[in-house]
Order: sequence, then C-alpha cells, then structure tokens
Amino acid sequence: MSDDQPRRAPRPGGARRSASGGQALSGWLFITPVIVILGVFLVIPIAMAAWVSVSDWNGRGNPFGGAAGFVGVDNYAAILSDPGLQRQDFGTALRNNVYYVMLVVPLQTIVSLTLAVLVNRRILQARGFFRTAFYFPSVTSTVAITSLFLFLFTASGAVNRLLATIGVDGPNWTQDARGVLHILLAGLGVDSAPVALQGSPLLGVSWWNWLAGPSLAMSVFIIMAIFTTSGTFMLLFIAALQNIGGEVEEAGVMDGASGWQRFRLITVPMLRPTLFTVITLGLIGTWQVFDQIYTAGEAGGPSKTTLTPAFLSYQTSFTGNRWGQGAAIAFVLFAIIVAMTAVQRWVLRERDTVPRRKRFVLSDGTLAADAQGGR
Amino acid sequence: MSRARTTRRTATIALAAATALTLAACGGGGGFDDETDAGDNGAGDGAEDNGEALTVLIGSSGDAETQAVQAAAAAWSAESGTEVEVVAATDLPQELSQGFAADDPPDVFYLGADNLASYASNGSLLPYVDQLENADDFYPVLLQSFTYEGTAYCAPKDFSTLGLVINTDAWEAAGLTDDDIPTTWEELSAVAQQLTTDTQVGLSFGAEWQRIGTFMAQAGGGLTNPEGNEATVDTPENLAALEYVQQMLADGTLAYPGDINAGWGGEALGLGAAAMVIEGNWIVGAMTNNYPDVSYRVVELPAGPGGQGTLQFTNCWGVAADGGNTAGAVDLVGFLTSSEQQMEFAAAFGVMPSVQSVNEEWTEQFPEQAAFLAGADYAQGGPVAQGAADVISDFNSQLQGLKDADPQAILTAVQANLEAVLG
Amino acid sequence: MAATTTHRAGQGSRLGTAVTMAVLVLLAVVYIYPFVVQVLTSFKGNADAVANPLGMPLVWTVDAYQRLFGSSDYPLWFRNSVVVTLAVTAGRVFFNSLAGYALARLRFPGRGLVFSCLVAVMAVPGVVLLIPKFLVINTLGIYNTFAGLILPLLVDAAGVFIMKNYFESIPASVEEAARIDGAGPFRVFWSVVLPMARPALITITILSFQGSWNELSHFIVAASDRDLFNLTRGVASLTSGALGSSADYPLKMGAAALMTIPVAILFFVFQKRIMGTSDGAVKG
Repeated sequence: MSDDQPRRAPRPGGARRSASGGQALSGWLFITPVIVILGVFLVIPIAMAAWVSVSDWNGRGNPFGGAAGFVGVDNYAAILSDPGLQRQDFGTALRNNVYYVMLVVPLQTIVSLTLAVLVNRRILQARGFFRTAFYFPSVTSTVAITSLFLFLFTASGAVNRLLATIGVDGPNWTQDARGVLHILLAGLGVDSAPVALQGSPLLGVSWWNWLAGPSLAMSVFIIMAIFTTSGTFMLLFIAALQNIGGEVEEAGVMDGASGWQRFRLITVPMLRPTLFTVITLGLIGTWQVFDQIYTAGEAGGPSKTTLTPAFLSYQTSFTGNRWGQGAAIAFVLFAIIVAMTAVQRWVLRERDTVPRRKRFVLSDGTLAADAQGGR
Repeated sequence: MSRARTTRRTATIALAAATALTLAACGGGGGFDDETDAGDNGAGDGAEDNGEALTVLIGSSGDAETQAVQAAAAAWSAESGTEVEVVAATDLPQELSQGFAADDPPDVFYLGADNLASYASNGSLLPYVDQLENADDFYPVLLQSFTYEGTAYCAPKDFSTLGLVINTDAWEAAGLTDDDIPTTWEELSAVAQQLTTDTQVGLSFGAEWQRIGTFMAQAGGGLTNPEGNEATVDTPENLAALEYVQQMLADGTLAYPGDINAGWGGEALGLGAAAMVIEGNWIVGAMTNNYPDVSYRVVELPAGPGGQGTLQFTNCWGVAADGGNTAGAVDLVGFLTSSEQQMEFAAAFGVMPSVQSVNEEWTEQFPEQAAFLAGADYAQGGPVAQGAADVISDFNSQLQGLKDADPQAILTAVQANLEAVLG
Repeated sequence: MAATTTHRAGQGSRLGTAVTMAVLVLLAVVYIYPFVVQVLTSFKGNADAVANPLGMPLVWTVDAYQRLFGSSDYPLWFRNSVVVTLAVTAGRVFFNSLAGYALARLRFPGRGLVFSCLVAVMAVPGVVLLIPKFLVINTLGIYNTFAGLILPLLVDAAGVFIMKNYFESIPASVEEAARIDGAGPFRVFWSVVLPMARPALITITILSFQGSWNELSHFIVAASDRDLFNLTRGVASLTSGALGSSADYPLKMGAAALMTIPVAILFFVFQKRIMGTSDGAVKG
C-alpha cells in the first residue's frame, strides 16, 4: 500500500526534518493495525460479497476458485422482479421493516426528547436516579431484553395481566400475526380486502397486505426498540439542552412567551443538530433489525410478520444455501439505508445559521455519538 | 481529497488485497478448498476406514435421542478404533449449511427429505447406499424419499408417523371411556369440546403442514399427486380440511402450542395445557424423560371424509462427500442402521426402524405404539424437490394465521408456489 | 408545559413540579419494573412464573440457577464471553488510541486518505456484513476459532474518532517538551499523552466492553462450534427454545438477568462518566 501523494515540503531546520521523517514512519506504524483489521474484515469482505451476489455459489467449495459461476443480476432479479416466493418474502420483509422504521424513529425521538426535557428540570430532585432508570435498558443486550419482552408479552403474561386490571382482554402478542391497521379496519367493519386492493403490484405483496400495518408481534419489537434506545438518545438531548439552557431562558423570559411557546419556537430549533443526529442514528439502526428476530427463534414468524431484510438475508444464505441471493438482499438493504439517510439529510438540511457542531460516528452496530463537538 | 478519488483508491486496495488473500487461501489450504469432489474421495470399494476422527451432527428430539446416538457411536468407536463425536445441533439446517459453506461439514448428519435435493444437487452428499450390507432391507418407500435423479443418496435412519396422543387422566376426568376414542371428525370435535376446560384445551398441534396435513390426507387431499410431480394443493378436499381445523380454532377447542405457553405439542401435553395432541413417535422419548408422571396413550388418528390419513417423516444419515474419512463414515452408518441398533434406538426414543426385517419384533416389543405403525399403511410423505422446503415453510407461515385467514386464498397461493418448484 | 423553569417560583410552578415528578415516577416504574419481573421470575418455579407473572414468588427457589449452572453450558458461555470481551476491549483501547493519536498528532503522508477511508468505512451498516464476514473468516481459516471471534472486533472506527478528538484537545506543548528531551513517538504517546487521555480511555473501555459483551450477529457467523458459544449466542438459543425448553421461563429470565450483571456493574461504576458526557451506545 504505497502512497503517491506529494510529500509535504520539508520544513527548515535539520532537527525538525528528522522528527518529521520519524513521524511519517511511526504515523504509519501506529495506524497500521487499524487499517489492516478494518481492511481485512470490512473492506475486503464487501468486495467478496459483491462477487457472491452475482454468482450462483450454493455453499460448497470455494466461491473464489471456480465453485461459483457468474450469473449477472439473476439474484437481484429473484428478489426484485421475478414473480415467486423469493420476491414475495423480500417484499414482506420490506413491508415489516418499513412500519418498524415509521413507528420507531419518530416515537423514540419524541420519547427521548420528552424524557430529556423532564429530567433536565433544574429544581427537580433525584435527577440522577431518573437518568439512571431511563438509561439502564440501553446497556443491556438485545438478547436479554428480547428474552424478557417475549415473557412479558405472553398470552397470560405481565402486560396482559396489567391490561386485564383496566378491563382489556389482551391479545397473544407474540403469536398474533394480525396487522394493527387491519385490526383497526376490522373494527370499522372492513375485514377483507376491497377489490381495488387485491392486486399484487409491488414485490408480490398485495396492496391490502402492504397496508396491514405492523403485526401485534412486530409491535412488541417496536415497543422494545423504543424502550432500549430512548435512554441513549435522552443523554444526547440532555447534553444539547444543557448547552443551550441559559440562552433559551433569557430569550424566553424577555419575550414573555409561555412555556410551550418557548419550547416550540426556541428550544426545538436550537436542538436541530441533535435532532438530526438522533434521527440519522435511528434511521440507520432501525433498518438493521436482526438480533431480536434471531433470538425469538420463530424465523420471522408468526406468518413472516417479523421477518426483516437483515434476517432474511441471513436466513437465505445460512439456512437456504442461496448465498448469492442473501448477499443481494444485503446490498439492496445497504442501498436503502444510504438512500434513506440521504433523503433525511436533504429534508433536514441546514437552512439557517445554527452552526453544525454535532457530528456522529458509527461502526458495526456500536454508535458513539459525539454531540459535544469534542474539540 | 476528492471523494471519487478516495473511493477509487479504496476499491483498488481492496481488490489487490482480496486477490492476495484468495491466492494465499488456495495455496495454504485454509478455509475454502475446492480440490475435492465426490468422485475422488476414497470411499469406493475396498477403501478402508483411515482412522480419522468422525463428527456426527444430529437434530435431536431431546436428551434421550442424543444419549442413545452417543452410546451407539461409542459402541462403534470401541469396535473400529475410530473416534466419533456426536453433536446435537441447536439449529440443524443452519449448522449444516454453515458447515458445508465453511468446508468443514460434519462427516455424518441427519438430513431431512425436504433438504435432500438441495445438498444432492451440488455434490455435497456421498451416495453410499449401495455399499451398505442391508441396502435391500430398507422400506422402498422410505428410500424413495432420499432418491435424487435416480440415485439413492442416503439411508433412512428410521421413520415416524403421526398419531393422536391422549392424556388419560384428563380423558377420565372428563368422563370419557375407550368407546369415546374418536374415529371421525365429528367425534374428534365432540371429545375436544368435552376435554376443554379453563386451563386446558382439548386438542393442540403445531401450526404447520406437518400436522395439519393429516387432516388434508383424511379429507382425501394432499400437496401432490401420488407420483409427486404435480401440485394438488388447491382442491376441495384440502379446503374442507382447513375449514375443519379453522372451525375448531374458532371454537377454542383447538389451540396451537404457542397460544398455550408451550413450544410444541409434547410440551403442551406434558404441562397439562392440552388433553390431546397430534404428534409422532418422538413424543414417547420426550414424555419419558421430561414428564414421566403424565400418563398417556396413543391411538390412530380419526378418519375424515376421505378415509384414514396421516403423515410420515423420515430422516436419513447423510454422509459428506468431502469428509476426511468417508469410508469410516459409511461404516458407521452401516452400524447405526443395522437391525439391532435400530431396535435399540426404538427402545430409547420411540422411532420405528427403517428396515423391514424387524417389523414384527418391533410390534411385539412396543404394543402401546402400535397405532404409529398402523399409520404406516396409509401415511403420506412430503414433496421432494429443490425449493419444496421453502414452499412448505411459507405454507406454515400462512397456517399460523389460519384462525382469521381465508383458507381458499392460502391454498391458491401455495398451489402457485408449489407448481413453480415442481414445474 | 413542563419544559420550563422560571425564576418566579410561583404556585403554578410548584404544581408543575409535582406533576412532572408524578409523570417521572410513573415512567421510571415502566422502565424499571420489567427488570424487577425478570429477577423475580428467575426465583420462581415454572408454574408459578406462568400463573403469577407480576408478583413475588409464592415459593422462593434457586432451582433455575441450579439448572443453569448444573445442566446447561452457561458456565462455558460465561467464560467465553469474558475471554472475548477482555481481548476485544484491550485491543480496542490500545489500537484505537494508537491510531487516534497518529491521526491527531503525527504528520505523515496519506493521513488525509486514511481519514477519508475511515469515514467511508463507518457508513457501512453492520448487519450488511454478516455474509461477507463469514466469507473472509472462512477464507482466512479462522472459522470456529477464538481468533475468528476476536480479530474482526479488535478495532472500531468510532473508537478511533473518539480518541482522535480527545487527543486534539490536549495541548501540543506537553509533547513538544518530551520530544525535545529525545523521546521517540511511541514513548511520547505511551508515557506522556496516553495518561492524559484517561477520560477518553474510560469511554472507549465502556463502549468496547458493552459492545462486545452484547454482540450477537458476529458470533453467529464466526463460529458454529458449541464450545465457542458465548452468552448472547447461548442465551439466544435458550430463548428461541432450540435447546428444548421453550416454556422454562425462570431459566430464561435467570440466564438473561445473570448476563446483564457485568455490564450493569460497569455501568454503575462509571455512571458519572457515562451520564456526564453524551457518549453512549445504541443497539442496532
């Protein structure tokens, strides 16, 4: 890995120059472990997967040494255009995840902002306790939380017991494949697809099923996501609120604005950079639903309503032996995430002069937000 | 630095490194290794067990089965001097697939009929059946399930059918006698009704074709024609079966195990959550081990409008073509499928031997399981074709929502899917 | 609206505080009670757990824990998790700070390129890498080994950035002094700069520990050998019922509660540090 950049002009002074040469060498030495590991386990794998996604490798022999043939875009066609089970599964997974994103991202943003605002009240007692309570779910593993939530939401579980105390007969959440919107429509007397919605124009899933909403089983995962992520995002908002606290108060008091007006007109706009970070992280995270589905062990059940593209990609490759197709799903998912982030960037682009102090970074599932600017 | 340039350079570096790695891997014999193929594996006639240790991967129904296979493998090991490790998979299809992809497959493993086509077609399997001494003793219909394009790839290890398993205490508590054992759908509904209490449903079985298919068989239907080359999912018979099951779900006399806090039928029966379940021979071992205090009996499933019907299941002992000691593996399978060993498995976890010669011996020894063997006369198998497993799992996902679904729509969809893979 | 504080501590404000407090207490119950249920359930018998999911155990029993340690592989999973997590955490702290220091302080040709590549790498979602990671681990011949579990997690770009940002906040004059005394770059880094970066090192330690302790998907694709199962993998197989105990809730809750303890301890020890900054981790 040579570098063909023009060398920086040597600075005057021999001592300086030798120090600079030493720095070049040790700079590369210092950075080499990171480059090698990220290169070998992030960059090269992507190149390998790109090849597999256009090959017919079926899990036997070396895909890079003659055991796989080039099949062009066949694998992409199988999930995007060819009628059949594969396309339908991908469409179903996409539908499930779209509802997940549409509900989790706004709700976790609102919940975490609300928590932050409540906890940030200066005269409040025991602020530390509340922060700890709300943040604690964020440190636990998805596996442990999934295990817990599946138990809480069993037919005769804790949640339904609580619902029963207010006279509600709770459903068997984790086994109930009915979509939330379908349930609402059934309440209005619409319990089967109108003719207009019976067609299957998009990825082999009918309009009626696109409009099903998240199933009750998926709703459990949606609630769980809000439960586990709101604490982290709350911390981001608290940091931001503390940065802007003084200014808001002064401006608000002088204007004689009411609390809500102050919050809406002054606080929220000033939180824009943090909102941007939270929504971006939310969008990226919510498209990667895997651990929960794997842990639940139902392979996306009931009735494939908790199937997600990430899990489908894994399942297609690792249990279905259609490695090319699994890789193709992963790349389509990648494209979706990039596109969503780009759209969101454009929608929330900076139109005013609030400086962009907030930056975010992420890597293989661990997001570390550096909302202070850190400089 | 411009973005485009960065990207291009990153790509170049990655490609160069990837090439280097691939070359290294090919030379060094790590990871992938495509030097092997089925014709070249030393398992041919006259090949000897080379003593290399064997790994056996099983999809176990429980401790009883795991221990029985371990004991059998140990016995063979003592005889042959070749070490054997028996591993019970957490998720057999995944571990198998990952093993093959990593070029580190188990030497011997359980393989379901529904996955045979996928592994046979890519050369992963060693077709060894003709090397077995007792090759002619297997039930031909079972061997047929493991035949792909005219070649029998692996030996059926045993088989099972489905029966109606009744908790006798619950049965008596409801005031029922031997005369009440259901022989028709109407009687089944009636006793299920009588057995249903606040804490117990009358009947339970998994929300899958592997159980509900029995009703399709009893209605005179099935997934394919007897030759297995044509999809016959969308028929009035199958519709009648789904509607019957749907009615019982609506009545609350039938519940899927997931709805009554159980993982499968046997657990529902053992926990007292269901008074009757539809399960196969494997329930015997599970009950003995996990719920020794629950008394139960097995009877034949009732007849439907189309007569009696049940489903049969069979796994085979797959042998990896790329294994290091295929001769030893085949020898081990020969030992495991011998009449004596199969009788021991039968005693340990309740399966039925796949060889005909011990048929009578088995019936004598396990009279209480006679209903399972009786079912063999009218049992149906599943479709064997590449992709059929996906169709059935999709069918199952729709059956999970059967309570509120349109049975006709389900059948129409599955018909189309199955036609696509059989076509 | 509760979002305000005013200097005029009037009656309205006091009422507002009381309402806020009530809302917060209710929310705190919602956030904490599930964990209480988790722990209580682990001390119940299974029938008790199903019949009485909310309250105290009718009879306290440690049966679930006895089975967890007596007849499951839990101790093995725990050991594997500890080994992998310690190795990954040590590796990340060391390599991330090395690289962060180089990017922040050392002038070397290609620094800009390296930095751009890191940014690009961070944009790749982890789940997309499952299949590719398996392929490369396999090609390298480290499938089903501890090396396969550990190596790919040994550095993370996010950690490099945190360290880089922190090093940039340390005045350069300190190093200059050491350098004039003739200390080499590693010496300067190791003895002078690193000790000053303690807060950032703690952050990295917390993030790495938590990240690798809670990681699941990487371990699924890196190994299938049961002897290499770690806690997340093992507990996931317990939860999914793959080990044949799908309705054994006390066992599952006990397993989940126990695996939470190490990260919980870390959390409470460094609570001030975690709460004081906004560096945090989010699961995907």
